[in-house]
Amino acid sequence: MTSQRVAVLKDLLEFIGIEGERLNLVWVSSAEGPRFAKEMTEFTEKIRALGPLNWNYQRAVAVGI
Amino acid sequence: MYDAIKERVKELLDSGEIKGFLALKNDNGNIKPHLYVSPVETNQLSIGDGETPGGARYPLAKILTILLQNHSGERFGILVRGCDQRALKALAAWNQISPEQVVPIGVACPEERAQACACALPYPDEWLEGEQVEPKDPRPVEWEEKIPLERLEVWRGEFEKCIKCYGCRNICPMCFCKECSLESEDVIAKGEIPPDLPMFHLVRAVHMIGRCVDCGLCEEACPASIPLRALYKKVNNIVETRFQFRSGIDQTEQSPLHKIVEPPAAI
Ligand code: SF4
Ligand code: SF4
Repeated sequence: MTSQRVAVLKDLLEFIGIEGERLNLVWVSSAEGPRFAKEMTEFTEKIRALGPLNWNYQRAVAVGI
Repeated sequence: MYDAIKERVKELLDSGEIKGFLALKNDNGNIKPHLYVSPVETNQLSIGDGETPGGARYPLAKILTILLQNHSGERFGILVRGCDQRALKALAAWNQISPEQVVPIGVACPEERAQACACALPYPDEWLEGEQVEPKDPRPVEWEEKIPLERLEVWRGEFEKCIKCYGCRNICPMCFCKECSLESEDVIAKGEIPPDLPMFHLVRAVHMIGRCVDCGLCEEACPASIPLRALYKKVNNIVETRFQFRSGIDQTEQSPLHKIVEPPAAI
């Protein structure tokens, strides 16, 4: 259920103009500490690279993004 | 007018086959939902021809759901357009009503209405009134053509108009949950207008996966004129592309969310 929902939500985010990569779904068990750390680090880096959400296009244009 | 429907309703009521017939009533020019329980009343029956043909619409399937909950085991007739029948089928697929309790009597929508609704299926399976007209193209293409930043700007502007009246949810035949996430403080902060952007609208959109029957009542009801239809049509298009599923077409087919699947390696 969740995986189908998240898949649709990613497409929907794209539709309203938000990068689908800003949403990530992974299964990590409590026994997989290092894996959890790895996933979190990777995701944080991805979001950092994407930068803040451009909520305001007019402003984004004005400041030259 | 509508003699064929009136005759059929009279028969059903006279024979006791149905306990009542849910349709519309023209009350001195005002069209409103009405439950017909006696054959003599049927002269006031309306199929929703208001200022424009078929222009007066109500969530009859939603009203029927509540009626059936309070009259278990009894049968009711209902006036259905294409959208109402899709809602009934989807409600059956989601186990909200049992089809044995429902006797639908169909009307096919006129061209003008189908156009106004951008309806992809403006007629039910069978009908006693009206004629079949061509389906209208329901795809929200004009939004797709904008670049992402423009889309974000436009949708943010639209969502910002929301006054959180819950009209969209209240009128939706497929909003049948006892507890609504849109009222959960864990999801949407209380007392803020506009409600959390874009959370409020995305939560509702995600909950329409496998449910929305594209009746367009939400957009018609929205006092802020938010193009909700484009959002839910998009949900439906995504669901159709990803899962080959359309809500309200086959009442025996469960929504893709009901199926347990292996999580894909990458989403
Ligand atoms: S079009 Fe709107 S009111 Fe109709 S089923 Fe979809 S979300 Fe609900
Ligand atoms: S009907 Fe329109 S204004 Fe009211 S809650 Fe829904 S989107 Fe917001």
